[in-house]
Amino acid sequence: MAEQDKAKRCAELVEKSKEVVREAFQRFKSDELAITWTGGKDSTTTLWIIRQACLEDNIKLPRVMTIDEYDSFEEIHDFMSKWSREWKLDLEWCRNDDVIKAASGKIGAPVRVSDLNERNQAEIKRIGYEEVAFPFEAESYVGNHLMKTAVFNEFIERYAIKGIFQGLRRDEQPARAQDEYFEHRPAAYLVPEHTRIKPILHFTERDIWDNIMINRIPYCVLYEQGYRSLGAKTTSQIAAPGVPAWEQDLEHTVERAGRRQDKEQMMERLRKLGYM
Amino acid sequence: MKNVTLLTIDALRKDALGCYGNQSGLTPFIDSIQNNCLRFTRGQSTGPYTQASFPGILTSSYYLDYGQPKGLSPRRTLISEPLKQAGIVTAAFHSNPYLCDYLGWNRGWDVFYDSMEEEVSEQIPYIKGDVINSKVASWLTSHRQRDNRPFFLWLHYMDIHEPYLPERKYVDLVDPSINLTQDEMFRLFSEVLLKRDVSDEGKVRLLRKLYDAHVREVDDYVKQFFNTLEKLGLLQDTAVIITSDHGDEFGEHGGLSHDDKMYSELLDTPLIIYDPSKDGGEVCQKLASNIDIPPTIVHLFGLKPVENFQGCYLLPLADYPEKGCFGEAIDQRSQRGGDIEKDSYFYREQDIKLIYRANLDQWEMYNLKEDPAELSNIVDRSSEAGELKEKLKPRVRRWLTK
Repeated sequence: MAEQDKAKRCAELVEKSKEVVREAFQRFKSDELAITWTGGKDSTTTLWIIRQACLEDNIKLPRVMTIDEYDSFEEIHDFMSKWSREWKLDLEWCRNDDVIKAASGKIGAPVRVSDLNERNQAEIKRIGYEEVAFPFEAESYVGNHLMKTAVFNEFIERYAIKGIFQGLRRDEQPARAQDEYFEHRPAAYLVPEHTRIKPILHFTERDIWDNIMINRIPYCVLYEQGYRSLGAKTTSQIAAPGVPAWEQDLEHTVERAGRRQDKEQMMERLRKLGYM
Repeated sequence: MKNVTLLTIDALRKDALGCYGNQSGLTPFIDSIQNNCLRFTRGQSTGPYTQASFPGILTSSYYLDYGQPKGLSPRRTLISEPLKQAGIVTAAFHSNPYLCDYLGWNRGWDVFYDSMEEEVSEQIPYIKGDVINSKVASWLTSHRQRDNRPFFLWLHYMDIHEPYLPERKYVDLVDPSINLTQDEMFRLFSEVLLKRDVSDEGKVRLLRKLYDAHVREVDDYVKQFFNTLEKLGLLQDTAVIITSDHGDEFGEHGGLSHDDKMYSELLDTPLIIYDPSKDGGEVCQKLASNIDIPPTIVHLFGLKPVENFQGCYLLPLADYPEKGCFGEAIDQRSQRGGDIEKDSYFYREQDIKLIYRANLDQWEMYNLKEDPAELSNIVDRSSEAGELKEKLKPRVRRWLTK
């Protein structure tokens, strides 16, 4: 695509996203909204678009939250700290310190359920886990729930958040093909009612990089080293060493979307083989 | 030896092979090469399912050695790593999700194919052996053209693994009287096997027949692979180690498939080393564990031992010690959530096997010579029990942590 056409397409994509953002501000007040940010390309793009819309409409940028899984890249942390200062964000690093303490901060260490606080114990009960211990890992069944989902729900509850922005894209995986920009989640035990808002749902991975380049949106240095998708440190892998993400063959190879796609693929295979 | 191939076959029971006494003719090719093979009659897996046995097969360590991270611990050494470092070309071709690159099994391989990006069906949820073979063949062909370095090749066939839906051709070779449709076979899988329902003996027998048909199928893939080596002129320079990660149960101890049990139908594995220079087959009666495979490969390449490997090299046989074999597992259902209490262990010395189930604090002991079916627990009457328990205890978490 010619540079000019690319710029035009990106402008249209961003405009569509801003419409979603503006609709969110019509539905909710700024302090009822929050933005999730991981430091990855998608959530940074989302944050950038919301910030642009807020600047244009003279609205206060909602608070920003990031989930610290404990097993994270220093490069991402540095990148987020820098741009948080630069953009004067009201950024909150959320993490489940109770679990970290019970595991003595060691990834893989066993955590006894009885060592956890009441809320974490209730969360474990909620997902039907009845054993006395689990390993401290963001990717394990219980670990994932406590380190991510529970932290997310607790944040929503603490600030009485009604709408939360997320940087999800439809092309990340087939399961997202039917996703809507606004997804209402009814209240459930330990889960407050909220709406998930996904302004960049219509972007492809290629669009994300075109838009980052055209609008000079900052990105984490790890993408230059060949990472194509970033998640926890111990589970992320370089897709093509030394080849920047945007120069990789995005159209014909699989984006290891937060390694989530790999994980889901694996779980699906295991299920078909009779496990799970 | 110039090149080494490790050929692992998922869920292949030892007693399904003709060379181990099976009378149904399921493995004509593997039986036919025995003249060039060293065959171990007491091969043991380090665990009854993939995650428990492959740490032995590829890293010469035990399943629970490094905590229980979801993926392969960085502290384990994969056989591919020291080999690659020594300048040997390393390649892996398999289709087992428990060994995929997401879980970290891709370390040290020049080529690592785990098939995880391919679409697979509900009926055949893996890439079939003939497709694995064709990928191996094209890799071997191109390797030969551009590189004269020795190679280590690992290939793994999934075809015997449930859901047992063999092709008609193989069903007919095993029992032409079976006329189930693919849908009916799938129903046996979902309604009998998945439910571990052994109440209907006829259905269990039928499942075993379907399993046998897959064994017959995989024997063809082994043959196809050997033909490829021969066609490329590689057969006379390549040792091939053939084994399985575990067996499968057909009601022997009240279950189906391969859960966390420590009985022979799951732990006894075929262990065969094909040596092209060998003239006349050889049989070894010593206990041998799959934890001994990585040191054997290192030794075959003439490299110095890897410190991190816990096994012993099997060749030359005279150097291989008489030793006991360990194995361990965790209840697969609770394992998902990382339960550390439902762990089980076994220790075998010659024909005596000791089993310990931690959550029940229960010991079992069997004399495999007198009671090969492992039905008569002699732990309370055996004078050896105390001594064997002391040997197993250092591996058991309960006593490890105290």
